[in-house]
Amino acid sequence: MAMRNAYIDQFPEEARVIRAALWSSFLALMIGGTLGLIQGLHRTNVLRFIPSQDYYTVLTAHGVLLVITFTIFFLVGIFTWAVTTSLDRGVKDIRFTWGWYAMMSLGTLLVGVSILGGVVDQIPMNADVLYTFYSPFQAHPAFYVGFVLFVVGTWLAGFDWFRTWWAWKKDNPDERIPLPTFMALTTMLFWYLSSIGVAISILAFLLPWSLGIIDSVNPLLTRTLFWFFGHPVVYFWLMPAYMLWYTMLPKLSGGKLFSDPLARVVFVLFLILSTPVGIHHQYLDPGIAEGFKFIAMTNTMFLLLPSLLTAFTVVASMEHGARQRGGEGYLSWLKALPWRDPAFTGMALAGLMFAAGGFSGMINAGLSINYLVHNSWWVVGHFHLTVGTAVALTFMAASYWFIPQLTGKEIWNRSLGLVQVVLWFIGMTFMSNAMHRAGLFGIPRRTAEPQYEGFSFDPAVGTVAEIDAQVALGAALLTLSVYLFITNMVLTTIGGSTSDAIPDNTYAGTLSGPEDSPAIIDNLKLWTSIAVVLVIIAYSLPLASIIDAGGLFGPGIDPWKPSVVVDPSLVLESVRGVMP
Amino acid sequence: MNIHTYEKTWLAVAMVLIVGFIATITYGAVGPGIAMIDDDGGTIDPDTINDDERFSDPGVTHVGGNEYEAAVVAQAWAYTPSEITVPANSTVTFYVTSRDVTHSYTVAGTNVNTMVVPGQVSEMTVEFDEPGEYGILCNEYCGAYHHTMEGKLNVVPEDEFDLTELSTEAPDEAQLGNQTTINTTVSNDMNYDLETTATLEIGNQTVEQDQTVEQDQTVEQDVTVPAHGSETLEFAVDTTDFGTGDHDWTVTVDGHEGSGTLTVTNATEGGDGDA
Repeated sequence: MAMRNAYIDQFPEEARVIRAALWSSFLALMIGGTLGLIQGLHRTNVLRFIPSQDYYTVLTAHGVLLVITFTIFFLVGIFTWAVTTSLDRGVKDIRFTWGWYAMMSLGTLLVGVSILGGVVDQIPMNADVLYTFYSPFQAHPAFYVGFVLFVVGTWLAGFDWFRTWWAWKKDNPDERIPLPTFMALTTMLFWYLSSIGVAISILAFLLPWSLGIIDSVNPLLTRTLFWFFGHPVVYFWLMPAYMLWYTMLPKLSGGKLFSDPLARVVFVLFLILSTPVGIHHQYLDPGIAEGFKFIAMTNTMFLLLPSLLTAFTVVASMEHGARQRGGEGYLSWLKALPWRDPAFTGMALAGLMFAAGGFSGMINAGLSINYLVHNSWWVVGHFHLTVGTAVALTFMAASYWFIPQLTGKEIWNRSLGLVQVVLWFIGMTFMSNAMHRAGLFGIPRRTAEPQYEGFSFDPAVGTVAEIDAQVALGAALLTLSVYLFITNMVLTTIGGSTSDAIPDNTYAGTLSGPEDSPAIIDNLKLWTSIAVVLVIIAYSLPLASIIDAGGLFGPGIDPWKPSVVVDPSLVLESVRGVMP
Repeated sequence: MNIHTYEKTWLAVAMVLIVGFIATITYGAVGPGIAMIDDDGGTIDPDTINDDERFSDPGVTHVGGNEYEAAVVAQAWAYTPSEITVPANSTVTFYVTSRDVTHSYTVAGTNVNTMVVPGQVSEMTVEFDEPGEYGILCNEYCGAYHHTMEGKLNVVPEDEFDLTELSTEAPDEAQLGNQTTINTTVSNDMNYDLETTATLEIGNQTVEQDQTVEQDQTVEQDVTVPAHGSETLEFAVDTTDFGTGDHDWTVTVDGHEGSGTLTVTNATEGGDGDA
């Protein structure tokens, strides 16, 4: 025991908070993943045991739990690890750290209960508004309050890390920011910048509106403010995965990070470019001039650069590791990699799938071709490769390394871990290829029953039945994978035995260190200023023209509270009733 | 800054790729002229849709030449009109707005796809070359029955296309020996006058215009319906020789039909003689 130097030995207090954050994340993954199976079986008409109206409650919960709760709780845990490990000092005040964790948890609880109200009659709430909560859909105020508490919790978490860094800087005035901390701080900077959008949307418009303080909102304005935040948030999910690919994957491969300077450049590019791209989610929106969409498209395309650089560095680092392990040849070095290690294999497979997701993302970013795929199942296939695999599989894989660090216990069953990550890859291969193809001939996303009365879909290759079968099979394998993961984590935590063989808490060294890059790279104020300027260029005119044309509070838009008690035939009557 | 040679090469290739993407999209915009949905449609107060010139009577109208406009109102969970018919080799500008929440107006499997945001009018111009049938669906979540929101787009051969609509109004009953009237309203949404003949047929015989229609006769009236206008025709029907019982009638204008049944009763059985 004396010789062990795992994270829990170095920072026992912080390890407790990180464990709590990771468990919150895993719980969300388990619930959200189960809901995903319900959706996969329902949409494809393999098994329908809920009414289709309730599908949208399930979908809202699936989206919020997986892309907000699962990802961001994991992020705050892993960034706390990154900052404390790389600065080699604990947080300034652990009570503050628990404070932001509690705030995020309370927010999650409020959001979760308000969504649950959509299917539980005893809860007099409804938030069937999906993860995007577009007005004039109006959720229960608790949904918006919960969302705000959660986001403010992340802001405080960021402050916690900045504060730790400031303290470290005082003691180490001439040193470069250690890479993991640099990554956490740059990520938080664009998070602060971008979440201003959703904060304004909720605090100035949606929350007062749901409380009856204001009568109307401008749907295009709140929608645009959502996407001001809604694209950067995908990089917020992705950055912890990138950090793990840069700082853990080379080490797990048996080598070192290829280039520290390029890693910094990549994170600086994300800081600068993450936010002024959100309008690329609104290529099909009326009320936004084509030029603004063009600016967003251009910024988006340049945002490919840091991901392409990452692809290079990750593969180069893996090759370096493989050669350190005795690998040789043009490609046969691949055989020398530690494929039996679930942490390595999971991350490597996640990176591979991210390449595929990146390519479909390039299609989405294409202003004109986007019209073919927008809001189709293609998009769902895309983000199940990105957030659903690059992020989720990396997080699960990393947990096979982190949980022993945080508990001092060996993984209950590493072979099962290997099966789990491979199963995810296989399940996602089935599901995402089918979703992508389905989108090309028009099967829509976010739809309980994509089977229509007046027409049917006509795939160029394969059949709708085959596509549905692949999606249902994929969803089943993915859910099984989640349960194997949770089982392994639970049994490790409660049943695993404390071990002295846990490796030391370290991250990858570098072949080319920070000394190879100019000090200006670490000038966070400079990069933040540039990011702000780009955001002003990309957003001030579109927002001004939306407000100018539609008013700050819209042209008399009535709230629409989602409800499941409406009979569609009555609605059709009412449609006829209001038509002249 | 020290960057490995391979990494520099990769960087260069990545930049070429990115600039290439931007160049192809730019070419698509300025070359073939692929236009995006933008702010040309303007804004609208959803409460005033019924008073709006364009949306109070949504549907397809002819602008001139091979150009058409299609106005559509989206509402949870239907489009008005739900079915759109346009000719092949036409250019159709769609104007779509929403009465309630955000919808989409999406022709499945094509790039005809727009968000429909309340307060905004989406304007998009589409060229239809070949005849065909397409499904229209809403791909933006719009409430509990979102999945039921659909429509139909028919692109028909040019020679089968017109914008003539026919509605008829006639009494169901008439007393034997009385005269009654079958009113026929013909509307024309083409941008030119429609010169055509309206034919009323009761039974299977034909008589000339201006005659009072008697039993088993057909009568024709020439009619000119002005561009974007309508005309109402009156067919006077004398039931003297009809005999009591049901008499089916059909009005035919420009290939469109309206039909009904006139029940002729004895005077003692009641019934309104002259409708």
